Amino acid sequence: MWKFLLPMGAFVALAVLFAFGLNPNRDIHALPSPLIGKPAPLFNLTDVMDPARTVSNTALKGQVYVLNVWGTWCVACRQEHEALLDIARQNVLPIVGLDYMDQREKAQQWLMQLGNPYTAVAFDTDGRTAIDWGVYGAPETFLVDGQGRVIYKFISPMTPEVWQHDFLPRIQAARRSGA
Amino acid sequence: MRRAAAALAAFGAALLPGAILLGALLAAASPQVCAEPARALDDYGQLTNPALQARFEHITAQLRCLVCQNESIADSNVELASDLRRQVREMLLAGQSDDAIFKFMTDRYGEFVRFNPPLEAKTLLIWGAPFAMLLLGVLIVYRIVRQRSRLPLDDEPAPGSM
Repeated sequence: MWKFLLPMGAFVALAVLFAFGLNPNRDIHALPSPLIGKPAPLFNLTDVMDPARTVSNTALKGQVYVLNVWGTWCVACRQEHEALLDIARQNVLPIVGLDYMDQREKAQQWLMQLGNPYTAVAFDTDGRTAIDWGVYGAPETFLVDGQGRVIYKFISPMTPEVWQHDFLPRIQAARRSGA
Repeated sequence: MRRAAAALAAFGAALLPGAILLGALLAAASPQVCAEPARALDDYGQLTNPALQARFEHITAQLRCLVCQNESIADSNVELASDLRRQVREMLLAGQSDDAIFKFMTDRYGEFVRFNPPLEAKTLLIWGAPFAMLLLGVLIVYRIVRQRSRLPLDDEPAPGSM
């Protein structure tokens, strides 16, 4: 009995392990964020377009909003830009940008040439805000609920499908429960 | 029982070269034996307090650079690693404890940021698995040896028959 069961068990265990580990859809760089369910870190930074103005998420309390981390050096950000413009046109919620490890002039150029999907873009000069949010690359997109808690983090270029499947239902749920 | 012991000894002898090789590999991989790896450099030099500098080196070597994933933030030249080194440096200068610095990092980046996760209920599998495997191996060898020691003796060639 054991002679049969042991190899069988070992085979099943390996099969499960490989099914998980070799899954081509699994992004090995995507890590679960410890921030989920926690209060969104507050920031108070200058506006990319106008250094005299500040962008802060304190004022957004009570609203569901998206924080999108990007930079002009980031190829995948260029890739998701169309999707972001599209989402902005739907006017569902504020999209706050966090320009990370970037140069202000380049960022301004990018927004003027490609279009600006953001309600406001904060300029993270020294990467401190990014560290507070546990950012380790770009693009990263966070969803924050009305109580100011991070409820979702998406690591990869945004697409209309991801928006439809991963973001919209969560936004609706957050609005329903958060009043 | 004698035969079992002899078989076990033979098995051990067969394993010995492998064990020596493994030991040599482990020794080569540990930092005590090989030359100090190249460290990434920042604009601000070393900390003036040698005790703080030692703690800085220890902590940054224990933190994973999440961009490259298998490099520590002490070794990586990626900008994020440099930002995190600055963070560790500032927290050390502000008199924060090692635990506070590790907590700062895991609060933001999760347990994955630590190369040496602390022994807790949820990391029990990581720490326990090697010992469980070893135990399993010993059990399997024990069973095989015991079975073979029960085989009849007459399968041995008679002396002088060759």
